[in-house]
Amino acid sequence: MTVVDRARPARRPRQAADADRGILSPSDLRRRPVRITTRLTHTILLISLIVVGLGPILWLAKSAITPTQDTLRQPLALWPNGMDWANLAEAWTRVEIDKYFLNTVIIAAGVWLVQVLVATTAGYALSVLRPRYGRIVVALVLATMFVPSIVLLVPLYLTIVQPPLLGQSLINTFWAVWLPAGANAFNVLLVMRFFDSLPREVFEAARMDGAGPYRLFWSIVLPMSKPIIGVVSVFAVIGAWKDFLWPMLVLKDPNLQPLSVRLPQLQQFIELDVFLAALAIATVIPIVLFVVFQRLFLNGAGMGGAVKG
Amino acid sequence: MTQITPTTARPPAPDTLPTVEFAQERAARRRPAPLAWFRGDGPHILVFLIPLLFSFVLFSWRPIVDAAVMAFQQTNLVTPPEWVGLDNFATVLQDPLLGTAVLNTLYFAVLALLLGYPIPLVVAVLMSEVRRARGLFSALAYLPVVVPPVVSALLWKFFYDGSPNGVFNTILGWVGLGPVPWLSDPDWAMPSIVLFATWSAAGGTVIIYLAALVGVAPELYDAAEVDGAGVWRKVWHVTMPQLRGVLLVTFILQIIGTAQVFLEPFLLTGGGPANSTTTVLMLIYKYAFQSSMGGDYGAATALSIMLAVVLAVFSAIYFRITKSWSTT
Amino acid sequence: MRSSLTRGASAGLALLAAGALLAGCASGSGTDSSDGKTTITVAIDAGLEKEARANFDARVEAFEKANPDITVKAQEYTWTATTFTADLAGGTLPDVFTIPFTDGRGLIANKQIADISDLVAELPYAADFNPNVAQAGQSEDGSQWAVPIAAYGQAVHYNRSLFEAAGLDPDDPPTTWDGIREAAKKITDATGEAGYATMTSGNTGGWILTTLVNAFGGRTENADSTEPTIDSDPAVAEVLQYLHDLRWDDNSMGANFLYDWGTINQDFASGRIGMYVSGGGNYGNLVTQNALNPDDYGITVLPLHGDDPGVLGGGTLAAVSPKADDAAQAASVKWIDFYYLAKITDEDVAVETAKLAASLDQPVGAPELPIFNAEQFAEYQSWIAPYVNVPLDQMTPYTDNSGDQPLIAEPRTATQDVYALLDTVVQSVLTDQNADIDQLLADAQAQAEALYAKAK
Repeated sequence: MTVVDRARPARRPRQAADADRGILSPSDLRRRPVRITTRLTHTILLISLIVVGLGPILWLAKSAITPTQDTLRQPLALWPNGMDWANLAEAWTRVEIDKYFLNTVIIAAGVWLVQVLVATTAGYALSVLRPRYGRIVVALVLATMFVPSIVLLVPLYLTIVQPPLLGQSLINTFWAVWLPAGANAFNVLLVMRFFDSLPREVFEAARMDGAGPYRLFWSIVLPMSKPIIGVVSVFAVIGAWKDFLWPMLVLKDPNLQPLSVRLPQLQQFIELDVFLAALAIATVIPIVLFVVFQRLFLNGAGMGGAVKG
Repeated sequence: MTQITPTTARPPAPDTLPTVEFAQERAARRRPAPLAWFRGDGPHILVFLIPLLFSFVLFSWRPIVDAAVMAFQQTNLVTPPEWVGLDNFATVLQDPLLGTAVLNTLYFAVLALLLGYPIPLVVAVLMSEVRRARGLFSALAYLPVVVPPVVSALLWKFFYDGSPNGVFNTILGWVGLGPVPWLSDPDWAMPSIVLFATWSAAGGTVIIYLAALVGVAPELYDAAEVDGAGVWRKVWHVTMPQLRGVLLVTFILQIIGTAQVFLEPFLLTGGGPANSTTTVLMLIYKYAFQSSMGGDYGAATALSIMLAVVLAVFSAIYFRITKSWSTT
Repeated sequence: MRSSLTRGASAGLALLAAGALLAGCASGSGTDSSDGKTTITVAIDAGLEKEARANFDARVEAFEKANPDITVKAQEYTWTATTFTADLAGGTLPDVFTIPFTDGRGLIANKQIADISDLVAELPYAADFNPNVAQAGQSEDGSQWAVPIAAYGQAVHYNRSLFEAAGLDPDDPPTTWDGIREAAKKITDATGEAGYATMTSGNTGGWILTTLVNAFGGRTENADSTEPTIDSDPAVAEVLQYLHDLRWDDNSMGANFLYDWGTINQDFASGRIGMYVSGGGNYGNLVTQNALNPDDYGITVLPLHGDDPGVLGGGTLAAVSPKADDAAQAASVKWIDFYYLAKITDEDVAVETAKLAASLDQPVGAPELPIFNAEQFAEYQSWIAPYVNVPLDQMTPYTDNSGDQPLIAEPRTATQDVYALLDTVVQSVLTDQNADIDQLLADAQAQAEALYAKAK
């Protein structure tokens, strides 16, 4: 996905990705020493990436079905005494990984909804409808990005324990994780920037046809925003999946805890091989999601490439 | 959410705001009367802003203000908070653990920078030259980032077992190197944590660098070659300057991220051995959530504010210095 | 859609949403005596098996039948010291909950649990509590604010199969600290595993250090709990020197020095540790949760030497939330009596509990200390004897001798925070060969003194 900045010329400059060259030109590559060196470095790089990036995960998969004693005594051997598939079943049922898994899914779904809702409505209001006081709101939102999140930890916690309008605390409810998730300045700015890049003519035309602000949002802007909603969604779900400190503080009831909070505590209660199986199960979904939505992830992560000079 | 989970590398903020358009549009519009605002779009804009305002007021702006206030109060959640002036700051500054935490955090930041700044760059440069299957490389590099940090931490904690049968020690044993104590030794603990943190987050940095690298216009390389530049000179004189913006931004973001490291030491060592891996954030957590006498929220917020101020000052100085360096 | 209609609809939606958010159900935990009945919420352990939960519900029914004016609601709750105040302020505390001995006196001093001493005094066995055990739940003036419901003493757990592999007799474990040192060395030499291991993190380092100090005849605070004696009591330095020698001279403590309660149990259960010190009741966790082979389990008493040694005691107290009103407090005490203490004082309930536990493969008969006195304890054990499923003959080194050992209460002031300080000391000694023990103790003493001063 490329974000066309209106300040730049209409024609996108040729990028190295389109060209048939990068640092090395085609003529460079015709020289044998260069070709050999390049191929060699790339092979080494690939092997390194496999060992370093994939290695630990493969080990986890292997150990998930290895009995404890084998993992302890010969951690790198491949099933010297056979596989132990019961680990997975035990992790799923006795340790109730399925329950914590479900909690993680519920939390991620709620966080996704909240973040998409806040970001799209706010982006729409600030970028398309453009109220006069919009600048102030944007500045205030931007300012929060410069405050390290740790500063908010304690007051946010106390806000959840004693919420201003409700009579009772939100501790041990999923709301304690869902609601604060909306206050994500990065998402808002991301969506705003995207909306800025949408052609105004479409909006003017729709307005002249008599569409009110709600119609415009629902029927015109939202359908056009699929790419950015995709990016926000990916970040939201991954962020919620990985979140640790905050859910640990506000979800005390083990029945509500997601995997990230429960797994460290579980270590105290279950034997090693079942524990590793639980870890493996916890890793499967993010990895599967990643493999399926690779392009979305990598494009979103590379957004920073748009930041230059 | 105002990302409560600190990471060692965050995506950078988008660059500019379209302030030019605001001014133009304002000039083009005449200021409508209040009634017209009401009959016009005014209230609807507010409706669209309700989710944002609700979220930010309750969970961002108010807590920030609260933090500033709480730093000067004594809060115990049962009785109303009382004002104690600078007492909380004094408590924090007099804590012998503060010096240790600050030094540990600095140590972590420096090590993380040494390891996590150049390596992703080298990897990204190499990857940018890959013609086919670059996607595979990217996916492999990014994979550790996708694994939930808690899972990685617990996994690596096991890898770091100090006995000769530990996973890493077994591998070292293959090349004849003795068992390393890893997390059980104050000298090895922090580097071990940095190694893990880098593994976990470097992929994100690689992808960011890669995206910037493929954005470098090939004409620049063509021009350099016309001038007779070899591979190294092209890298040094074309690639690096073009990446300057990204490099500067990722540098400051890494500093800010590593200053807030919490999850890795918390899960891997709990701050030990002998407080050699206790960081500033762990100290804040300890003040607020690990005191059996109820939780010193005032000290926790005071220390958070101190950290925020230090980071803000550092960022300001940084942007001042680097302003002249960036290619604007 | 006409714009005026959408305008109205949207305004309505917004109001509705706001209203829905504000209209959270107001009934939190706590008491409700509006209809003459008192409702109390009581804590139960999280993750109970189906039959255990069914059993609990049956007990609730029986209680409500016997007390028609009380309704009992169960709430899964595990007490944690560090978030207690937040729980209290946030209203998520049940009326009845359990706390470890360590935290009892601190909570009482801060009035963070209800004063139910008058109600407790009315119980038939109020005067029969073992004084060592009862003091954990008493205020300064001796009134019983929290009820002890379980007690244990520290012990040495050892792995019988590692003993055999090292040529030691598993039925004849060491009875002195020198003996433990020798056995540890033999185990390491023969098997490569840690002969002796100790906890060091999450406040457990200080807890076990205090245990050893007590066993060596010393104390970490003075008699009236006003001053710490960390650097003045010679036993503290003696224990650290002992650990230092085991670690650096004998190399018999393995390679992991960041154990806490859960992880040391795990490693012991997987056969990597020969001996370690922990609470006497660990058998359950080791076997059911960490898959220890019961044949490998052995337990013996802490060796005692020195002038005035003793065994550190621990246990569980039942407490009532300070937010409970009078009716709720009375109901709560009735529940505590019915649910927690009847298991020990009433034969039928004891038998039923034991039968259920045995059917769920939970250990019955694991070593514990008497809450009342030795005779009552013996009587209780005779009731549950048919259902005991733990290897009692492997535990005789402990059960035969634990009754003779004097019990010592945990330090009273700033207990957990001092433990945290001592964690650092133990970690330093075990990970830094050149650690200056005297300097470490002096630093810890200074910091502990500050904590004691704050607590006054």
